[in-house]
Amino acid sequence: MVNGFPLGDAGELKQINPADIASVEVLKDASASAIYGSRGANGVIIITTKKAKQGETTFGIRQQMTISEFTSELNLWRDPTLLAELHNEGRANGGFEPIFIGEVSPSGIYYPSIEELSSGEWPHNTQWDQIVFRDAPISNNTTFSVASSNERTNFNLSASYFTDKGIQIEDDYSKINTNFSISHRVLDNLKITFSNILTKGKRNANGDLAFWRSPIWPVYDETGDYYLLNSMDFDHPVAITKNRKNESKTLDLLSFLDVEWEVIPSVTINSRLNFKYGTSINDVYQPKRYTQPGEFNNGAAYINNWQGSTVVSETFANYRKVFGKHDFGSTLGYSYQNDESRTSNLGAFDFVNETLNNENLGAGNLELNRVSNGLVASELVSGIFRFNYTYDEKYLMTFTSRADGSSKFGQNNKWAFFPSGALSWKAHEEGFVREMNVFDQLKFRLSYGISGNQGISPYQTLSRYGVSNYFNNGNWITSIGPGIEVGRTGQSGIEVLWGGIPNPDLKWETTAQIDAGVDFSLFDSKLNVTFDYYQKNTDDLLQERILALSSGYDRMWINNGSIINRGIELTVGSDLIQTKDLNLNATLIYFQNRNEVTSLGNPQESGLITDPNTGMQFQYSGNSIEQFRGFPNLLAVGQPVNVFYGYKVDGIIQSLEEGVLTGLDGDLAQPGEFKYVDINGDGSVDENDRTIIGNPNPDFLASLNLALTYKKFDISIFLNGVFGNDVLNTHAFDQPSITPFRWTLDNPTNMYPSLKDGRQVKFSDWWIEDGSFVRIQNLNMGYNFDLPKSMRLRISMNASNLFTFSKFNGYDPEVGTDGRYWGGYPRLRQWTAGLNLTF
Amino acid sequence: MKFQKYILVLFGLLTINACDLSEEPYGFYSEDNFYNTVEDAEAAITYAYDALTFLEYSRTVFLLGDMPSDECNPKADEGADAQDLSNWKVANFSTNRSLVNFFKYAYIAINRTNAILDVIPNSTIEESAKGKYLGEAHFLRAWSYFNLVRNFGKVPLHTSFVGTLDQTSAPLATDLDQVYDLILADCKKAIELLEVNRATGRADKVAAQALAAKVYLHMASSKNHNVPQYNSSRREVNTMYDSAAYFANEVISNQNTYAFDDNLLDIYDVDQPRGPEHIFLMSMDRSGTIEGDYSKISKLFIPYIAGSAIYLDNGNGTFTESHDGWSVFQTKESFYETFDDSDKRGSELLISVVYDKSGEEIATYPGAIPYRFTRKYVDPHYIQDKTSTKPFLIRFSEVAMIYAEAAGPNAKAYEMINFIRNRAGLGDLIPGLSNEDFREAVWNERSWELMYEGNRMYDLRRFNRVNKLIDEAAELTDEQVAFYPLPQIEIDLNQAL
Repeated sequence: MVNGFPLGDAGELKQINPADIASVEVLKDASASAIYGSRGANGVIIITTKKAKQGETTFGIRQQMTISEFTSELNLWRDPTLLAELHNEGRANGGFEPIFIGEVSPSGIYYPSIEELSSGEWPHNTQWDQIVFRDAPISNNTTFSVASSNERTNFNLSASYFTDKGIQIEDDYSKINTNFSISHRVLDNLKITFSNILTKGKRNANGDLAFWRSPIWPVYDETGDYYLLNSMDFDHPVAITKNRKNESKTLDLLSFLDVEWEVIPSVTINSRLNFKYGTSINDVYQPKRYTQPGEFNNGAAYINNWQGSTVVSETFANYRKVFGKHDFGSTLGYSYQNDESRTSNLGAFDFVNETLNNENLGAGNLELNRVSNGLVASELVSGIFRFNYTYDEKYLMTFTSRADGSSKFGQNNKWAFFPSGALSWKAHEEGFVREMNVFDQLKFRLSYGISGNQGISPYQTLSRYGVSNYFNNGNWITSIGPGIEVGRTGQSGIEVLWGGIPNPDLKWETTAQIDAGVDFSLFDSKLNVTFDYYQKNTDDLLQERILALSSGYDRMWINNGSIINRGIELTVGSDLIQTKDLNLNATLIYFQNRNEVTSLGNPQESGLITDPNTGMQFQYSGNSIEQFRGFPNLLAVGQPVNVFYGYKVDGIIQSLEEGVLTGLDGDLAQPGEFKYVDINGDGSVDENDRTIIGNPNPDFLASLNLALTYKKFDISIFLNGVFGNDVLNTHAFDQPSITPFRWTLDNPTNMYPSLKDGRQVKFSDWWIEDGSFVRIQNLNMGYNFDLPKSMRLRISMNASNLFTFSKFNGYDPEVGTDGRYWGGYPRLRQWTAGLNLTF
Repeated sequence: MKFQKYILVLFGLLTINACDLSEEPYGFYSEDNFYNTVEDAEAAITYAYDALTFLEYSRTVFLLGDMPSDECNPKADEGADAQDLSNWKVANFSTNRSLVNFFKYAYIAINRTNAILDVIPNSTIEESAKGKYLGEAHFLRAWSYFNLVRNFGKVPLHTSFVGTLDQTSAPLATDLDQVYDLILADCKKAIELLEVNRATGRADKVAAQALAAKVYLHMASSKNHNVPQYNSSRREVNTMYDSAAYFANEVISNQNTYAFDDNLLDIYDVDQPRGPEHIFLMSMDRSGTIEGDYSKISKLFIPYIAGSAIYLDNGNGTFTESHDGWSVFQTKESFYETFDDSDKRGSELLISVVYDKSGEEIATYPGAIPYRFTRKYVDPHYIQDKTSTKPFLIRFSEVAMIYAEAAGPNAKAYEMINFIRNRAGLGDLIPGLSNEDFREAVWNERSWELMYEGNRMYDLRRFNRVNKLIDEAAELTDEQVAFYPLPQIEIDLNQAL
């Protein structure tokens, strides 16, 4: 929430200039966030932007410059001969002809022979990362601001210009952001606030280049043209950068009007109208050479338009009355939200002359023009009643009830009722606690609340048919019927996922959360401790069911299953040193969450699969992974969310005899293969030998923040750690630092299998690694100068992602909740120098 | 208090009201606004045919029908799916993407036809127009189930539209007969409802008769050769042969829209989809914008030759231009050697020399051409990779051979086979063959005539010869080669199994 406006996901913060932020508050328990309804089900971050001090006019200039670099070396092939030898070895082991033999392959690629490579006759060893990645890309952010206020009026104006150079060449972003905010007390009891944030952005997207391209291939051929492997080579980074166009321009508006009226001293009415509006235009041209769409269509040009708007209207009437020690408050509110997003896409193909790129779509072959458009809209309505009562400033109680209605659910399930309540006791206000002379603050909290989740796309309750073209007896005609594309899968996403089957029974996913906590301060408030225990029971889980192939569909949204999350959170803050010149503060946070799938519905109706060895019932979760021909993650009753399910591997098979003894046969029993374990001991290894082999959920998380100020100098460091989570490393074998240590007759290792093309790899614990890490997330230093005439100057230096301690074999173990690591390139370390002047 | 009024008006303006949370569909069709007119029915039936054209399906016609057979090997660096099929790695079949996709798209077509069969009878469309669409839907459902049963054996049976979660699982057929009963009933319904009406990419009465013949022949010969599961069919072998002959005869004798093409090369002329032979074709055209609308089938068969245009000799002083390809289906020399030297299907349809524009040889086999490639899928008007090359789903010549095999060595059967042989430059078949020898001869004829038409695997299967003639499958049992296993994902997710 920014100044009361629900921005959506935290990632949407791009519209806010950090220099404008005055305060940030986080709400976690169900009662505290109840006023925000389903939007706050996973917590609320409340951001308030800066306002000027009364009677002053201040000007500010803020300048930040950030330089980025990789946190680790890139793990790429640097020895072309070794690469080619290993490639040939893998093919030979798979029963294929070696490919690096100095001949043109069936795909039309000339692969130099090992001799050519080792003798230097084929002299190329291209370091593509040096070409693709910028050395030290710089981003720059400059902000000017002016703020002023008097008794009745308060205004704030700021403008910033931000330029960001991406880590890949010509991957650039820039934006201009202006923020105007004014509030005026029209009458003594009536205040109107208006603010407007406008952001104009421009992006040249070039962040998908093939830095992993083989070093064997040169950049240019003898004639100075780009060296392409064959006409189907669509990965040449330089050729793509120089010839492809992919630009986006965006305009975002965030507008906010608030009226606050004190009707009588105990009653105020507050009404807000928020409006968010965004547009983007994406210009793309894929040239005839170097790109796949361009090659196939003889040039492909696109213009993609998007327009989105969100309107939020809220009115709250507040009543507050104090009688002696009794403090009553109540709130009656109404909220309405409407989201709408429209797209239109134009495509033109087959260009005679490419010089205009996509500037004139009419220059393409008119018969091939392709247009599409769409609109998605949803509504959310809520009625809220909240009652607060405080006795003697010691006993606090809140009760909130709200009814939420969402357009996304079935006709009879649109509305749900979400009550919540909280009690707290400020024990330090009690005489007997004061007399103990131990606690400077002691507060006990207890809250309970139900919240709802409606985070699915609209229209899932409706039957949706697809539209296609069919070449019917020599003419294209429109064809229509059941089944609509809802996603893509497979290599390069060529396989369509089908949906469109309606679920008229879709309803709110609900979470009942109980939270018990205590806050206390000791030693003249030098030690502050907050401890919370919570349990969240989530029911009617909204999930995308994977359907049987024979249904004619792939995916469908349903409510099914229950999950329990329980955990503790402990925050210990301490002012270790507090003197006039020197202050040292430390904050340690420990967070532990355990989750468990408690139900997945009736096993028959839900199509649950039963583990033959343990009787555990489960369903697959997420998409399948091509490399393993299967789904590695499960939702399993009695297990944490997204556990890994697969085979166990006990080293590498050293002899055929050993392989056969293990229960393997055929190719799988050969020396150099994974030695899969016959878990059920039936003498053969098959799908019944799968079991739970890992858990992507961490045991606990911890962070430490240390802040030190000495006179006008300050320094702080923030460390963040995740412990005990498993990560599925899809690149556990396929990387230059590992592959050379593969099993061979001369190197009968138990660590890595042999290289073998066409091996059908089973998903096993061999691919799972400990994802624990500790990261120095942030190091911040600053110095404040006091200048004459109340001018203030601060210079600062910040380093983010300074260092990561981890045993993980990939670049970075911080992955999504399904624990899958896909490679890519290392995380960036960023150095920022800042200067902040106000007067 | 005057201000109070203005303030209230202001609040009124700021508060937007909405109580109706019903969802208004935007930009998509559903059964609520569809199936009302003949145009809707036309759109619905073509959406069902369109399921066949997806690349996940159109390529698997050959990956299942030819790749595992004795015709060819995959390119050395082709993906694991094709390698496993060719090498008969049955342990990997249940997760093979080609098998999964073939299975999936058959059911997508079935669901689309089931929607038509459920809704159109009660729709407001005039009665006289309904028959055509229902007939085509019956045909396409039969076609899809036939493809499922001859690849996977007993499969789940969906006979009505899947529109709710409960309906997404269906039990397995109890035996092959149950699947075939459905297929044959659909064929007969289609024959009854359809008229002879040639349209590329659509099926008519003749297509339905041809399919019925094809189905009966598959069942008859499979039982005759003691193929697992077929050997316990309740139908009599000879009755099934008779039925196959009857329906094939309807096609070859009782209509005059489709016939033999006199010229071998003309059959495969991409510009003649309405040539006399083509009873049922998968419809794709180079003017499409996404693969499936256009076809890249040509790329699968033609080898890579320097990434440039190649020219094929038409034998009459003219040349046909083509792009080169990806070398995926590489003809085995042992298969080529089964052709008689004078058989044009070996010497003219399998290419061993290509030329440049001026007619100069640029590559030969052996040499720069890695294998003899078929010219059945060549489009001289190709646009980069886009072509109009189409899988041939039912040809008149195939129906003629079905007749011959089913009817046995009678005069008409000889006439059919001899026409095909003579067209290919061969002499007549030895007269007076026994029933068994004659069927054997027809079976061999099919391997030459129908090469690379997604056929050979099924011929091997129904004669129970997969593990006898394919080295890679020699170790496997009759049961292992008779059917592919159901996809693992189907077994996992279909709770009715």
